[in-house]
This record gives sequence, C-alpha cells and structure tokens, in this order.
Amino acid sequence: MPSEAIDPHGVVWTGVSKNYLKVRLLGWLLTAVIWLVVLSVPLVLVLIGVWTWLPLWVIWSLIALNVVISAWTGLLIPRQVRAIGYAERDDDLLIRSGVFFQRAMVVPYGRMQYVDVSVGPVERAFGLCSLKLHTAAVATKAEIPGLPTDEGARLREQLSARGEAKLAGL
Amino acid sequence: MSVPAEEQAPDPAVIDNPQDAWHRVHPISPMVRGWLAIVAVLFVFGRDRVEGIFMGEAEALPSDAIWWIVGVGAAVVVVIAVFFYLSWRFTRYQVTAEHVKVNSGVLFRQQRQARLDRVQAIDLMQPLLARIFGLAELKFEVADAGESAVKLSFLKLQDARTLRATILSRASGGADDESGPQDQPEEAEHRVLHVTPGRVFGATLLSGATIALLLLAIIAVVMSFLLDEPLVITGLLPVIIGIVASYWTTFSSSFNFRVSVLEDGIRLRYGLLDTRTQTIPPGRIQAVSVVQSPLWRFTGWYKMRLNVAGYGGAAGQPASGGNTLLPVGTKQEVLQLMALVFPDPGTEDPLGLFHAGLEGKNDDAGFTTSPRRVRWISPFTWRRNGFVVTRTALVARSGAFWRHLAVVPHERTQSMALERGPLSRRFGAMDLVMHTTPGPVAVRVRQMDKHTAVELFDLQSSRAAEARKHSVGDRWREHHDEQDSERGGELTHG
Repeated sequence: MPSEAIDPHGVVWTGVSKNYLKVRLLGWLLTAVIWLVVLSVPLVLVLIGVWTWLPLWVIWSLIALNVVISAWTGLLIPRQVRAIGYAERDDDLLIRSGVFFQRAMVVPYGRMQYVDVSVGPVERAFGLCSLKLHTAAVATKAEIPGLPTDEGARLREQLSARGEAKLAGL
Repeated sequence: MSVPAEEQAPDPAVIDNPQDAWHRVHPISPMVRGWLAIVAVLFVFGRDRVEGIFMGEAEALPSDAIWWIVGVGAAVVVVIAVFFYLSWRFTRYQVTAEHVKVNSGVLFRQQRQARLDRVQAIDLMQPLLARIFGLAELKFEVADAGESAVKLSFLKLQDARTLRATILSRASGGADDESGPQDQPEEAEHRVLHVTPGRVFGATLLSGATIALLLLAIIAVVMSFLLDEPLVITGLLPVIIGIVASYWTTFSSSFNFRVSVLEDGIRLRYGLLDTRTQTIPPGRIQAVSVVQSPLWRFTGWYKMRLNVAGYGGAAGQPASGGNTLLPVGTKQEVLQLMALVFPDPGTEDPLGLFHAGLEGKNDDAGFTTSPRRVRWISPFTWRRNGFVVTRTALVARSGAFWRHLAVVPHERTQSMALERGPLSRRFGAMDLVMHTTPGPVAVRVRQMDKHTAVELFDLQSSRAAEARKHSVGDRWREHHDEQDSERGGELTHG
C-alpha cells in the first residue's frame, strides 16, 4: 500500500480484502443502472409523444451527464478501496480512507466503548464484514469496511481485549 | 418493559437500612409537569361559555347542554387527576451508596439506574410553576452508553439541595462510610463571578440576531427600492418573530448568570423565569471554547462554552442546554474562569498564552500558525489559525472575524483525525480534528503545514496515551493523595 504524506511516520497499513472492490463495484453498477432506468422514463415518454413540453436535448444531456458521473465514480472506486487501511499499534488503532478528501484517524484502545461487526447480504456472499468502533465522541466515525470475516472476528476480539486492558474513563 | 404494575419495592417503613429507603417525589409534581393539559381542558370547555356570554347568546344554549358540558369537563378533570395520582404513586427513587435508581410509569414501567461515580453533572432546574410552588427538578447526566439523564421531578427545593449534596459527596468518594446514612449538609461555595443584567441586555442587543436583523433591513430596503414599492413587512414577519424569539432566549437564559466554586467542582446559576443550577464536578469538563463575534469586539466581550458528556449540544444534535460557561464576560473574567476550569494549564505563562489565543496572531506566545502559502485559500484567517501544545492541553485558535479559541486537555481526547480536501492538498495543508464528547466545542487545528500536522498527530496521540495513564479516576476526592504523590515524582524525575 502506498504511503502518502497524510500518514503518520512508520506505519504499515493493512489493506482491505480484494473482494470488497467487487462489492463496491456491484453497488456502483446497481446505482448506475437504476439512474439510467429512471432517466430513460421521460426519454421514452417524449419519444412516443406523451410529453411534448420537454425538449429532447434536455433529456439526452441529462443522460449523458449521468453516464459521465457514473463512469467517473466507477473509475474512482478502485482507488478508494485501495486507500482504505488500518494499522494496530500498541496503544491505538489507526484508520485511513479517502482519495480526494483524505482522513487518517487514531482511536486509542482505552477509549473504545463498543465494537460493532455487521454483515450485509452482498458482503456475506463475498465473505466480508464491516467493523465499526464507537467512543464517547460522536465525531469518531471509525469504520473499516470490507474485512474478511475471519479477520473481522479476530480484530473484534483483539480490540475488545485491548480495550478492556486499557480502559479509561471519560 | 412489561413488568406488571405492582409494587416493586417493599414499604419504606419495613426496610431496616434507612439509607436504601425508597422515596416518592412531591405529590403535586405531575400537576406541575402536566399543567398544560389542565389549561387545555379548561380552555376547550370554558371557551364556549365565555364566548357565549360575550356574544349575549348564553340564553340561547339549552340548560341540558350546559350540564352535559360541565359533566364531560368534570369527567375529564377526574380522569386527569386519577392519572396524575397514579403517576405520582408509581414514581419512586432510591439513593444507595453506589447508585441512584428511579422507577416510574404506570402501564409501561421504567426502571432507570445510574452509577454515582459516573455522574457527569448535576442540574437543579426550576421551571416557573415549580418555582412558585417551591419545587425543583434534579437531573443528573451519567453518559453511560448514550443513555440520557436520570431525572427526579419534583422535590421540595431544600430536599433537592440536600440530595444533590449527598450524591456529590458519595460520587466524589470522599464521603465517610460512617456518615453514609445521614444526608450531607450543603457545601460552602465561593462566588466568583456575576454577570449584571445590564451587560446581558447589551450582549443580547449585540448578538448574532442583530447582525441578522441588520442584513434583513438592508435586504428589505434594497428590495423596496428595486421593486419601487413601499416596504413589505408582512412577508418578513416570520423571520422577525424568529429573531425576537432568539433575543428572548438569549436574554432569559443568560439573565443573572453566576459562577461559584466549591470543592466538588463549579456551580453555574442562571435564568429569568425558569432557573437552572448546574454543578459540574472536577474533571468532567471535556473541552472549552471562547468565541467573540465581530460586534462584541467593540465592547471587549467573550462567550465561553463547554462540552460535558451527556449535555449534548453539538451542531445538529439534540441538546439539553447547559453548554454555556459564561454567556458574556470580559477578558479578565474569561481568564479567571479558564484558571478555574483548567487549574493546571501546563505552561509557564498562561496569561500570555490566552491573550495571544484570544486576540493575537502569527506566532505570539508560541503559537504555530498556517504556512504563508495558504493565504490564497484563507486570506484573512491564515495568521490566526494556530495551535499551542502545553504539558496538559492542546489550545487551538482560529477565525479572524468570529474569533475562536478551543482548549482540550490531553487526557480528554477521545480520538483524532487528520483531514484534507483537494484544495488543502494543493497547498500542502492539513486539518487536525480532535474528537471529544458531543457538545458545541469543536476542536479543529486548521490548515497546518502537512509535516507539522503529521508530527502533531503523532505526538498528540502519545501525549493523550500518557495523560490517560495519569488521569484522576471518576471519584475525584479519592485520588487526591495518589495524584499528588505521582506529580511530585514526575517533578523530581523531570
């Protein structure tokens, strides 16, 4: 995994599963198709002459815009997935994410209040799960998506054990 | 919870340990809470009659109908009274050495239990009607897994005060086991600060609402000029009502604001019609900010806000109020309160530090500011954006027009993040965000040089880890000696 300027020094990041890319691409495909279907409704209506008030070029340009945006987000997904990483240190867990809006976050083990592991239907099909950490601060939006199920379970146990060992008050 | 509606606890008289006795709240509390319902009933049934009399139509109503109305009205009153009685009857509370427990609810029973050593703040609230009856509501925030506050409404004012003192002394871990059953006497407190009504009035006039009002007036005048029509006030009426309401809220909630110190923390009192007394034990304040709006610069006033777990009040989050440490004060008063809230600022020159934080720019008092190159994306604030790390806290400064200063102790940092968008990246800058418990104080060190930011991130996480190891426990009195000896040890080493 490439280390960029935003990263703290000397951190070795663990990336998420390659399967997570497939999950994201599936989701992306579904969204793109839904948008295309939604936008093609007025197109059909205008083409068969039910709607006459809407000029044809407006619809075509909307569809073109949609295709461009979809292609753009689709191309970004691999980079976004590659950008997600985490690292376990002695006292805290580091999480990074984002391509354009980058974020590197540190959550001390002693501050964790609970750890959630969730699995959606698509994630399950690919043997993945997501891990969420909660502290007393709501702003801590610490989520690691696309972990292999085993790794998720291991991490959860590890974090809970370390959290208990280092538990601090508020 | 579907526990059948039966008595949960034995009768207080049978209990041998008087300390764990169950108590009831004051009998008229449901009425004080539900007075709106009574007023509504009176209004609905009384209106017809009164209107009838005024219209001279009283005779037109058949006498049967009057009896019907009176009958139904009486029935509703009886139902409400029975409900009030039951709701009072089923509300009980108990204060043990470890917990406060409250049982309530008639059909849906609710049992709430709070650990005393987790108490974050105790509020004594008196809505107007409760004040008339000499009652008070006691509310304590515990911040356990997002569960909201435990409330006791209503108790006699004196009882509420005694109970507060008892809870504080047990929560502090300083209470003698011998004196456990007895109620603690009220602690002596020392008045530090009093905001005069005149200043509150002035501050309200110079608040953000006035800026909104001025903008609105300008828009209205320009619009009428452009449209060549006389001023149209009616369209702006909702906005004006909103602004007036905001004036009222600001004024009434800052009125008669007083701060005092006691051994168990600091105490804030305020309110015009509804009054509130907050007691915040030591070590419960998670972060503090000082802000100055442009209009207040002429008068040299500042406002201080704080984050306490359980109070909430973050942008877009439900708030229970109580996030104001000082509604309006001079720099002197701000410094005085800072010293109270953070007795150990961890620097040789706290005055110089806060002076520079409040109105300084560039690198006064050791502030590290944004690199010069970010002046293109923040031409006004780049000299102000900055931070200082002291031995005990991180001080973050920002804002050129709305001046902002935030302080978060190392041991209160929950987590933190480095963030940057495409624009910051282009200019080699980064933000460091410190996460504390929800509240109005957001700590963000803005647009630092990327290497500085990464270094700060690294150092800050190790400082926070170090500070957590030495932090005082929940029971603030218990750990006094231990803490002192630890500090002494550190000094000799360092």
